[in-house]
Amino acid sequence: MNIRTRQRDGVVVFDVEGEIRRSEVSDTTLHQLVKNQLESGRRKLLFNFAAVEFIDSFGVGEILASYISTQNLGGRLKIARISRKLHVVFQVTMLTKVLEIYDSEDEAFQSFGRT
Amino acid sequence: MRRPLSFAGIMGRVGDLRPGETRRTVLLFLLFFFITFPAYIIKPVRESFLLEFNPGRFPYADLITAALIGFVVSLNATLLQRLRRRRYVTAVFAFFMASLLAFWFLFGRSWPPLAFVYWFWSDVFIATSVSLFWIAVSDAYNPNQAKRLIGIFVLGGLLGGIAGSLLSLSLVQVISTRNLLLICPALLAATMVTANLFYRDLEKGREDRPPSGGVPARVGYFEGFRLLRGSRYLLLLAGGIACAMIVGKLIDYQFKTVSKFAFPEQDIRTSFLSTFNLGLLAVSAVFHLFMTGRVLRRSGIRTALLVAPVILILGSAAAFLVPAGLTLAWAIVVRGADKSLDNTLNQSARELLYIPAPADAKYKAKMFIDMFVNKFATGFAGLLFLLLYQVLGFDIKLVSLPVLAFLGAWILLADRASRAYVGVVRKDLVRRWEDGEDIVARHVDVDTTRLVFDTLQSRERSATLYAMNLYDLLRKEDLPPEVRNLLTAKSGEIQARSMDAILETGGETFAPGSEAVLAEDDFEAEIGEIMGLPSYREVMESHIAKVLAESREMEVSRMEAAKVLGFMAPTDQTIRDLTLLLQDSSPEVLNYALDSAARLKRKEFVPFILRHLGHPAVSQIAADALVVYGTRVLGTLRDTLADPRESERVRRAVPAVLGRIGGQGAADILQESLAGGLPELEEETIAALYRSRLDNPGIALDESLVKRIVLRQVGQGYRDFLDALALEESGAASDLSCAGTSGAEIKRIFDLLSLRYSPDDMARAYQNLCQGTRKSVDYALELLDNVLDPEIKGFLFPLIEDLPPDERARRLRRLRRPLEAAAERRP
Repeated sequence: MNIRTRQRDGVVVFDVEGEIRRSEVSDTTLHQLVKNQLESGRRKLLFNFAAVEFIDSFGVGEILASYISTQNLGGRLKIARISRKLHVVFQVTMLTKVLEIYDSEDEAFQSFGRT
Repeated sequence: MRRPLSFAGIMGRVGDLRPGETRRTVLLFLLFFFITFPAYIIKPVRESFLLEFNPGRFPYADLITAALIGFVVSLNATLLQRLRRRRYVTAVFAFFMASLLAFWFLFGRSWPPLAFVYWFWSDVFIATSVSLFWIAVSDAYNPNQAKRLIGIFVLGGLLGGIAGSLLSLSLVQVISTRNLLLICPALLAATMVTANLFYRDLEKGREDRPPSGGVPARVGYFEGFRLLRGSRYLLLLAGGIACAMIVGKLIDYQFKTVSKFAFPEQDIRTSFLSTFNLGLLAVSAVFHLFMTGRVLRRSGIRTALLVAPVILILGSAAAFLVPAGLTLAWAIVVRGADKSLDNTLNQSARELLYIPAPADAKYKAKMFIDMFVNKFATGFAGLLFLLLYQVLGFDIKLVSLPVLAFLGAWILLADRASRAYVGVVRKDLVRRWEDGEDIVARHVDVDTTRLVFDTLQSRERSATLYAMNLYDLLRKEDLPPEVRNLLTAKSGEIQARSMDAILETGGETFAPGSEAVLAEDDFEAEIGEIMGLPSYREVMESHIAKVLAESREMEVSRMEAAKVLGFMAPTDQTIRDLTLLLQDSSPEVLNYALDSAARLKRKEFVPFILRHLGHPAVSQIAADALVVYGTRVLGTLRDTLADPRESERVRRAVPAVLGRIGGQGAADILQESLAGGLPELEEETIAALYRSRLDNPGIALDESLVKRIVLRQVGQGYRDFLDALALEESGAASDLSCAGTSGAEIKRIFDLLSLRYSPDDMARAYQNLCQGTRKSVDYALELLDNVLDPEIKGFLFPLIEDLPPDERARRLRRLRRPLEAAAERRP
């Protein structure tokens, strides 16, 4: 798994590529990267999952932990460009009731402006 | 550092002026100055004219005022509602200017009842103009801001009073009492101009409240009374004010009676009253410079409200001990104490109580209280005095008996009102966001969700693993129907279509033939029975041993073995096997092994589970496993936390486990860790204690320890801010949010404060400080100001208030050493 971060319109975008699974985790996890941004005062975070092929239970834990850390500081964490397959699983497991998921980055950026 | 005796230095002593506030504050200072300046000419004139009769006339004058003031209240409230503020102040002061000239003319005609008319008029003037001033303060400021600046406004009032008293004292013997009235219209013109400038400034900021237009709201007696009756808070305010007025009036009657007999001649009496007022104002000004701001800032509104009645209890009780020759001196001291406290501390605290009240109350009820309740109380005091002094023939000192009774009531009501004040402030602070854990807990079953993802993943790896995961899922009572339906649909065609999107089966069923099995109601029972059979156990143990011995490269076989061990009854063999698997190098195998260890809950597994707290890939599942063990592992967790040889990653993960286990035992271990002063564990320990306290409010915490840690964290905040400021000044970028320092740092401080104070109060305050409007930030500060320990408040506020960076840095540098000393202090 590779994670790159960039900034756009005051939002920190995490471009995640590959599979978010426990067998591929490095010393710095996705949640730790999110916490680093939160410590620096960033409050608008976006996961770009366009290049994410697979998420296992560890990945779900990372996403939820990132959401909780962001929410507790009054921030917003959103997800964009998740695959259809993953979106269905997220819906079935009620994750979509917690996580805001958008089809495109632009829609996600617009939603940051509305909240 | 001693404050200089410059204007700014004096302002700094009585108030905390921030950039951007100077113009408006100066205008309010001048407004109050120009209100009290003529008031302190008008007052001795009216008292002197009425004393031409005998002191017994005062209560009649107050009763007449009480009877007629209601009409003035109605008219005034109507004008306030219908007119823009600037037009209102112009109309009101133009009326007073014209009427003063009329009174000057009529006093030349020697018509004795005029003294009563003038008395009533002067009451209306003083009540209206002072109310107008406090309405202006309410229009412009929020509670905490007003509390910072009120000392400056009141100083303006005191100086105006001193100027008025000095002027009347120096001129009365030269131009006579009547002609003093001619000075006042000019002063009222200055009042009018200043008020207009103030409201023009306010209008620029769009904070003026125009009239509602259309049908005006009901005003007057009944509306004001209705508002009062509907609000316990306003009733307490009104009751306290009424008691204070009754006490003040009775003391005033005592004073006037004594001074009438001491100074029978009018001009000498006017001179004495002017001298008294001047001395009173000078004492008030000195008291105000040194005490008002200090008491309000350090001790809060409650103490400020109770100082006056407590001192007056002592003064009034002294009436029975003072010899006859010292009666005038006693009257001067008691009246002086009453008025000086009323002019300064009491007035400031009382007016601050209105500010957080809803808008309706702030204007209509306040007008009703200031005029009608005040005057009603005054009239009641007048009746009481007439009854005691003229009808029953009480000695003037015996009037102190009812004074003492009303002082008792005053203390009770002031105490209740100050407690209710916090509730009013709190009501205006809404929570801006919910805790993430609560949102997730409400919508998502995290364990089931993880199992769904494991099940989907395992389908790609192993049919056996997949079947076992399915079995696990279907056993869950709270399995979402959408998931259950997908997994147990009987029709192969429907199943294939619905599963295609998820599992990419390409039209084939996920496990041929299994759909019928899975649909059976007693499926779970059948599997359970099979797994319980000794023969099954023997077969499986043999199979697993073979897997472990021969299949080092086959990760999936070890995953299957790890999974199935969780279904089996623990024997020596299964424990050995699972222990081996808990030391596997594959995170996928560890995932299943840790899950199985949690099912079996054997103490042999604990050291291996603990080790995996430090492994990012399986840390969460290891933590989940330990939580399942519960209080049985508290001892081990305590030892791990305290062992410096243990991996830091493992130690940092332990507090969260303790927080989830919860209970007093876990809380004690977390507090021990905090007390041990291990900075590398502090962040996680604070977060764990916070969650633990939210889940179980009954756990007992060491308050002095919490305070020390709060101060330590505040100190860290000081360092972070000053370091970040140094970075910015050197040109490097830094990103500071939430009042100038890292939001996460501030969050930790408020999580700690939640251990000692109401978590809901701290959450409201924190959230509004970070993301509130200017008004809600002020209310957040005001809530904290009334709730927090003064020492904590004193160190915390410079970190969280809205200050320019250099001013914040100045304050932090000044407080750094005292903060460090306070953080180290043990009880």
